[in-house]
Amino acid sequence: MFLEQLINGLTTGSIYAMVALGYTLVFGVLGIINMAHGEIFMFGAFMGVVITTTFGLPLWLAFLVAAIVTGIMGYLLELLALRPLRKSSESSHLAPLISTIGVSIFLENAADQYFGSGNHPVESGWLDTSFTIGSVTIYTVQLVIFFIAIALMIGLSYWLLKTKGGKALRATAEDLDTASLLGVNTKRMITATVVLASVIGGIAGILVGMAFSSVNPQMGLAIGLKGLAIIILGGMGSVKGAVVGGMILGLSETVIVAIGLSGYRDAIAFVMIIIILLLRPQGLFGKKTA
Amino acid sequence: MLGEFINPYYLQVASFILINIILALSIYITLASGQLSLGSAGFMAIGAYTTALLTTNFEVSIIVGIIAGTLLAGILGIIIGIPSLRLTGVFLAIATLGFGEIVRVVLINTEEITRGAIGISGIPQLGKEILTFFEGFGFDPNNLGLTPNQFVFSAIFLVLLIIDILLIWFFLRQKNSRVGRAYSAINMDEDAAATMGINVTYYKVLSFTQGAILAGFAGALYAHVLSYISPADFSYHKAVEILVFSVFGGSEVVVGAIFGASFLTLLPEILRSISDYRFMIYGVLLVVMMAYRPQGIIDERMLRWVKKRFKGGKKDGTKREEN
Amino acid sequence: MVLNVKKISKNFGGIQALTDVSFSINEGEILGIIGPNGAGKTTMFNMITSFYTPSSGEITFKDEVISGLKPHKITDKGICRTFQNIRLFPEMTVLDNVLVGTHSRTVSGVLKSVLRTKSQKQEENNIRAKAMDLLETVNLLDQYDDIAKNLSYGQQRRLEIARALASDPKLILLDEPAAGMNERETAELHHLIMKIKEMGITILLIEHDMPLVMKTCDRLVVLNFGKKIAEGDPEEIQKDPEVIKAYLGTEEDDESA
Repeated sequence: MFLEQLINGLTTGSIYAMVALGYTLVFGVLGIINMAHGEIFMFGAFMGVVITTTFGLPLWLAFLVAAIVTGIMGYLLELLALRPLRKSSESSHLAPLISTIGVSIFLENAADQYFGSGNHPVESGWLDTSFTIGSVTIYTVQLVIFFIAIALMIGLSYWLLKTKGGKALRATAEDLDTASLLGVNTKRMITATVVLASVIGGIAGILVGMAFSSVNPQMGLAIGLKGLAIIILGGMGSVKGAVVGGMILGLSETVIVAIGLSGYRDAIAFVMIIIILLLRPQGLFGKKTA
Repeated sequence: MLGEFINPYYLQVASFILINIILALSIYITLASGQLSLGSAGFMAIGAYTTALLTTNFEVSIIVGIIAGTLLAGILGIIIGIPSLRLTGVFLAIATLGFGEIVRVVLINTEEITRGAIGISGIPQLGKEILTFFEGFGFDPNNLGLTPNQFVFSAIFLVLLIIDILLIWFFLRQKNSRVGRAYSAINMDEDAAATMGINVTYYKVLSFTQGAILAGFAGALYAHVLSYISPADFSYHKAVEILVFSVFGGSEVVVGAIFGASFLTLLPEILRSISDYRFMIYGVLLVVMMAYRPQGIIDERMLRWVKKRFKGGKKDGTKREEN
Repeated sequence: MVLNVKKISKNFGGIQALTDVSFSINEGEILGIIGPNGAGKTTMFNMITSFYTPSSGEITFKDEVISGLKPHKITDKGICRTFQNIRLFPEMTVLDNVLVGTHSRTVSGVLKSVLRTKSQKQEENNIRAKAMDLLETVNLLDQYDDIAKNLSYGQQRRLEIARALASDPKLILLDEPAAGMNERETAELHHLIMKIKEMGITILLIEHDMPLVMKTCDRLVVLNFGKKIAEGDPEEIQKDPEVIKAYLGTEEDDESA
C-alpha cells in the first residue's frame, strides 16, 4: 500500500517536474513567467488524444506530433507575444505577464472550441496493463512515464552542462548582454529556449493524459498553476529546484488523497506557495537577490 | 408612456456594465501603484458568498450583507497583500492567482455551507427588495406607468448608477491628491518614491486593499442582482476578463476602466456571433495591446491633449486637473 | 554638527566597498566628497539615505542615530538626495514631480483627499505655490506642465534638485549634479548650489567636475578604494600628495568617468 502510493507520488511528481522545467528554462533566460506554458502543455495532451483515440495511430507517433506542434507553438509565442515587447523600451515589467496571459486564455478557449470541453481519453494501448510484485500492483504506464521523465531530465541536464548549445544557453541566462558580446546569438538562444520549454511541456502533456487518462481544455490552468507553485518552491530558474519541487508536490498530493481529502488536492500547491513566500521567498534552491 | 421606453433587457445589460466598471476600477487601482492582481475573481467570490450566505441563512438585510462581504474582502486583501509585497510583481500575480483558486476549491468542497458546485440560489434580489420596501408605503409601480418587472430592473440600474458615479468621483479625486501622486510615484520608481518620503509598503497595501474592497463590493452587488451564484462565476476566466477591461480601456486612467468595461460588455451583446469567441478575442486583445499600446486605448497623453484642446493652455499652477 | 558619520564599513558579499570612513558636516556647510570612480562615494550616499545598512559603524543626524531607519523615514528627518543616474518620475509632469517631493511635509490621507476638506484644499494650494516657487528657483517655471521625460538632460538634473528641495531638507545630498552638463549649465548649477546654501540648507556634494568642486565646496573629503585618504579645505586637498597620487595612479583604469 505504502509502496504503491510512493510510486503514484513519484510518477505524478516527475510529470509536475517536467512542467516546472518549462517555466524554469524560460524564466532563467528571459526573466519572465510564461503564463501560457500550461496551455501549450494542454495542447500536447490533446495531440495525444487526437493521434491515439481519434485516428487510432500508435502512441510513439503521438509523442512526435505533440513535440512538433508544441515546438511550433513555442516559436509563435516567442515571435508574436514576447519579441514585440522586447523591442518597445517603454513597456512595463508586467507586459510579458499580461501578454502571455492573453495567449493562455486564447489557447484554452480555442481548445474548448475545436476539441470540445469535457474529458477526452488517451489510448495508451498495451501500456494499459499492470503487474503485481508481492502485494504491490504496478501499472506499466506509470513506469513508462517515470522513465521518460527521468530520461528527459537527465538528457536536459547533460545538454545544459556539457554541450556547446547548453553552455550558450546558460551564458544567456546568466547575462544577456555579456553573452551577446561573447558572440552568442541571443535572439536565437531565446527562441530556442522557448521552443525547447514548449516541447518538454508538450511531451509532459501526453504523459499526463496517459497517467490520468483524461484530457480537457482546463487542465492547462490546473497543471500550469502547479508548475508555478513548484518553481516558487524550488526557486525561480533552478533546474534542480524544479525537479525536487515537483517530487515534493507529487508526493504531498498523494498523501492528501490517501488520507481522504482528495477535494483539496489542487489547493496544496497554493498553500505551499503561500508558506514558502512567507518563510523563504527565494525558494529552496534560489539565489537570494538584493 | 414611461413604460414604453423601459426595456428590462437593456437595463440588465446596463447593470452588468455598471458592475463591470467597479471590477475594472479594482484592477485600475491596484495597477496604479504598479501591482498586478489576478485575485479579483477570488475577492469577488468572497463578497458574493458572504452576503449570499448571510441573507439567505440569517435573514440579514441586503445592506448589512453587502457591507459585510465588502469588509471581509478588504481584510483578506490586507492579509494577502502584506506578505506578497516582499516579492516582485510576478510573485504577487501568481500568489493572487493562487488565492483565487484556493477560494474556488474551498467553495466547491464546503458543500454543507456553500452547496458546492451547484451554487446558491434564491438570494434576495436588490430590485425586488426595493419594490417590496416601497410597496410597504402603499406605492404601486403602475402609478409610474411601469410593470413591476420594469420597476425592478430600473431600480437596480439606478442604484448601481449612483454607486458608480460615487466611486468614479472618489477615485478621480483620489488620483489628483497626495495619495494618488504617491501611487503613481511608486508605480514609476519605488526607490525614488521612498526617497521622497513615501512609505512604499503602506501605499502598496492600501492600493491592493482598495482593489480587494472594490472587487468584494462588486461581487456582493452581483449576488443581489442575479440572485444566483456558483463557484464557476468566479473562475480564473473572470479574473482575466476583469483584467482585459482595464488593460484594454486604459489602465492609467479612471476613464479607461469605464470605457473598457462598457465597450467589452456591450460588444458580445451587439455582435451575438462573436459571443462564443469572446475569450479568444480577449486573449488576442491582451497580446496586441501589450505589443502596441500597453497603456490601453485611453491614456494620460490623450486626456491631456483633449484638455488642452478644449480648455486652452492655462498657465496657472494652482489649477486642478481631473482625469 | 548636522551629520556625523562614524567608522562606517560596508561589505558586499566579500567586496569591501567602504572601510571605517568617518566624517562630519557642520550646519550650513558645503562638504564635497571626491575620489576616483569606485571609491565608494555613492555607496556612502546610499548608506546615509538608508538604501543600504552599514556592515559596521553608525550615522547620526542631529545627535540621533539614523542608520537602520527605512528610507522614507530619513526624508522625514530632513535628509533628501538626488541620484547619479537621474531618477525622476518620467511620465509625470514637472509640477507633479515637485509635488511628490512635498509628501513627507503634508498629511492628507484618502478621506481628506476625496472629501476635499478645507485643510486639504489649503494644503494643496500651499504646496502648489511652493512647488512653483521652487521651479522658479531652478529656472523651470515655463516647463511646469511638461512631461518630465521630455526635458533636456540639464533640466532633468535641476528638476531633481527642486523635487528634493520640496521635502524641506536640512541636509541635501547631490550625486554628481554636473554630470553631462555643458559649461554654461555648470556655471548656473554653481549659482543654484549657492542659492540653496543661502536658504540655510547644508549640502553634501559628490562631483567629478574639479573646478566646480573647488569653487563651491567649503571642505572636502577624499575617498579612495573605500577609505578616507584626506580631509580639508580645497587648497589643502589640492596640495595633498596622497590625493594627487590617488588621482594620477588611477587615471589609466578609470577613463570611463
